[in-house]
Amino acid sequence: MSERQPILSVRNVSKHFGGVQALDKVSFDVFPGEVVALAGDNGAGKSTVIKAISGVYPYEDGDIFLDGKRIAFATPQEARDNGIETIYQDLALADNLSIGANIFLGREPMKRLFGILPAIDRKRMAEAAKETMKRLDFHVDRLDAPVAAFSGGQRQAVAIGRAMYWNARLVIMDEPTAALGVPEQRKVIALIQSLKAEGKGIIFISHNLRDIFEVADRIVVFRRGENAGERTPGTVSADEIVRLMVGK
Amino acid sequence: MERRSLIKMMGAATAAAGTSLIAGKASAAEKVTIALIPGLTADGFYVTMHKGAEAAAKALGVDLIYQGAAEWNVSLQVPILDAVIAKKPAAILIAPNDKQQLIQPLKKANDTGIAVVCVDTFIGNGVFQTGSGDADFPISYVASDNVLGGRMAARALAKAIGEKGKVYVSNTIPNISTTDQREEGFKLEIKNYPNIEVLETQFNGDDANKAAAQFQAVLGRVPDLAGVFGANLFSAAGAANGAKQAGVAGKVKMAGFDAPESIVAQLKDGTFELTIAQHPAEIGYFGLVAAYAHVTGNPVPTAIGTGFTVMTAANIDDPNVSRYLYKSE
Amino acid sequence: MAAPQLQVNAGKSILIRIAELRAWLFLILLIVFFESWARAAYGMSFIVNLYNIQSITVFATVPLMLALGQTFVIISAGIDLSLGFVMGLSSVVAAHMANIAAAQLGLGPFPAMMFGILAGIVVTFIPGLVNGWLIAYLRVPPFIGTLGMYGVARGSAYLAGGGMTVAVNNEWYSVIGNSRPFGIPVLVMIAVVAIIIMHYLLSQTRFGQHTYALGASKAAASRAGINIKMLTMRIYLLSGLTAGLAGALYTGRFSAGAPQAGEPLLLDSIAAVVIGGASLFGGSGTIWGTVAGALVIAVIQYGLVFIDVEPFWQFIAVGTVIIISVLVDQAQRRFIGGRQVE
Repeated sequence: MSERQPILSVRNVSKHFGGVQALDKVSFDVFPGEVVALAGDNGAGKSTVIKAISGVYPYEDGDIFLDGKRIAFATPQEARDNGIETIYQDLALADNLSIGANIFLGREPMKRLFGILPAIDRKRMAEAAKETMKRLDFHVDRLDAPVAAFSGGQRQAVAIGRAMYWNARLVIMDEPTAALGVPEQRKVIALIQSLKAEGKGIIFISHNLRDIFEVADRIVVFRRGENAGERTPGTVSADEIVRLMVGK
Repeated sequence: MERRSLIKMMGAATAAAGTSLIAGKASAAEKVTIALIPGLTADGFYVTMHKGAEAAAKALGVDLIYQGAAEWNVSLQVPILDAVIAKKPAAILIAPNDKQQLIQPLKKANDTGIAVVCVDTFIGNGVFQTGSGDADFPISYVASDNVLGGRMAARALAKAIGEKGKVYVSNTIPNISTTDQREEGFKLEIKNYPNIEVLETQFNGDDANKAAAQFQAVLGRVPDLAGVFGANLFSAAGAANGAKQAGVAGKVKMAGFDAPESIVAQLKDGTFELTIAQHPAEIGYFGLVAAYAHVTGNPVPTAIGTGFTVMTAANIDDPNVSRYLYKSE
Repeated sequence: MAAPQLQVNAGKSILIRIAELRAWLFLILLIVFFESWARAAYGMSFIVNLYNIQSITVFATVPLMLALGQTFVIISAGIDLSLGFVMGLSSVVAAHMANIAAAQLGLGPFPAMMFGILAGIVVTFIPGLVNGWLIAYLRVPPFIGTLGMYGVARGSAYLAGGGMTVAVNNEWYSVIGNSRPFGIPVLVMIAVVAIIIMHYLLSQTRFGQHTYALGASKAAASRAGINIKMLTMRIYLLSGLTAGLAGALYTGRFSAGAPQAGEPLLLDSIAAVVIGGASLFGGSGTIWGTVAGALVIAVIQYGLVFIDVEPFWQFIAVGTVIIISVLVDQAQRRFIGGRQVE
């Protein structure tokens, strides 16, 4: 894996809020088809680093490279335009809209009514939705149903489907299983496997070590804004990860 | 017309009383302040009343405060009344927005020694200084005799429809003293015409659009509808538009109440058969004179009625009639 | 790994459909009720009656105009309380400007009317933009921001009219307001065009789609890259414009501009949107629903007069329909959790 170029490379990134050093020379890589889990206690810097990547905050020192090019996005929209999709814990779906409308929200495909009037191409949105959900192994019967009618796991699939449809290179998932019941969590884990199979890079943040061990290829542990270690799930115990998180 | 001359006489008498007071006032050292609170400010009727009061204030050397709400609403009028009370005028002329709800707020003014005169509308039953009831404290009620106005409308409308057929009253909302009285007077007088049937009154809440639809609905059920009495401006204008929409303008006779300048064209094109013009300037004038007389220790009649003019297409160009149109400035 | 299924069962989908059509069902029930009563009591038909249809549709036109703009606002989880007086302002300006155009610019009656109507509509840009700016940029809650504008528009309307209704003497206004070529009132023709345009905007354009998204979740709309500030501005601008058109039509109909023309219609406009299936929490509603809602209100008020029922029953009837509407909406939310919009 290491001979390939990483999708994302974070190098010595620092950031502070007032007197608090939130990130101190943090570094890690994400390769294509790889799930990197960020582990750490509350306030360890997981959220800060993903926000620096996705353009929510500027970072101060160090570099972030996307496909070898240095990036410093001013807005989440700019990050998204460059192939970085973030899937939030609260999903950020419009519950009253269909799957297709959510996938295309803000970027709706247009057609011409009677050859003149621009109109949203709902058929195309529905087809793309069906296609995309199929790639995630979800088979949708009613493409016009609002996503509010679906379960938490199904809605998570819609959010992931949106990232997939727009050909994200890197998908950042912040606690994607937190709000879900156990069976639904299994489905999301399965979805992450599908994304991986498509060669996306994935950053996975979770408090749930079991999920981390199940899905991650590498675990990057943060403690108080610093790198505390990097392990692969097959060669490490959960206890050791916890020790890294709390510093013995 | 007989009644008009009677009212004129009464007006002249009161005006004379006013003149004699000016002489008495010369001895009074400080200037008297009197407030006028209209039913609403945004209405030509009250604008004209204000002008009448201003004329009297100027003649008597009175400071006139004029404060009111933009619409007919008790909860807007009461705070304005309270603010005016705080300024401690010698007297308040007010057109109360409700017969009952203004009693206590006005009692407060009366208790602090401010004389209250009702103009246009009243509180309680409108009979004052009787020594009984909780709403008899105002010094005087100065207004058009609205029952009489309703009667005059009934007579004129009856004549216009050949003293037979079906009519109804288009009214705003219940429990406003003036419009209630106009309806009452209209219904009383119309009883003298056995061939005229009065249908259910329609209340429109001052929504001309609704008044128009109500007219059309009544006409739908009663195709031989002969006439409508609109108890105020919006009620009349709405019903008249309903007739226009239904294509029966001029056939179903419209009797309106009040006389903004726009009524002239509508009388001439047959939208209205007639309208009853009040004399709001007289109300303002006599109201102020009565308040001043009371403040300077002179007796005042407890009720002063001002007149009406029936306007029709035939007489509207007569300057003696057209001078009663309500002016906006 | 078992393939998870995304399915919504068919029974629920029928429920959704029925709930969506509830305003039309109300309308049909009301018509059946009035029809039976009119036949039994007066031996005449209520609805197979061109005159009644003309009267009811004209009656519904002006409140519907306000309700069309209000539909967008309510779908975006806002409310526009200023519409009534914005309409009054437009009505007064439309009357004044037509008079000025004829008297001082020497325009003929038709261009003078067009000038008046245009002026009445253009003046509503100001309250619309200010509403949008307050709500989008200064984060004033819509209820408060538009309540403030309610006062400002009311005062401006009264000032513009010198505190009175402004008479306008222009035969073309009357043509727009009162004529009915081929038996179809011009007002109703204009309303139909407005309905089609509004339906197109809401259901076929990104603007409409984003309005739904904004009402469902501000965060979702914003994270999807929608400029929600501009969107909010546009929504309130549009609702001001529909009120402007309503005001100009009112002036045509009554040959006068009245500052308080729209005030009694504000609540009717909100009621029409709610009866039409929109939720005051935002995210749902359709133009067709609002059209049905406005017709429901007009039919109740007209019908009760037609069958000669004590007038105060009108308030009770409209109130009851609003309550039933909201109850149906809540029941639907409980059972289905939301609703589709397309």
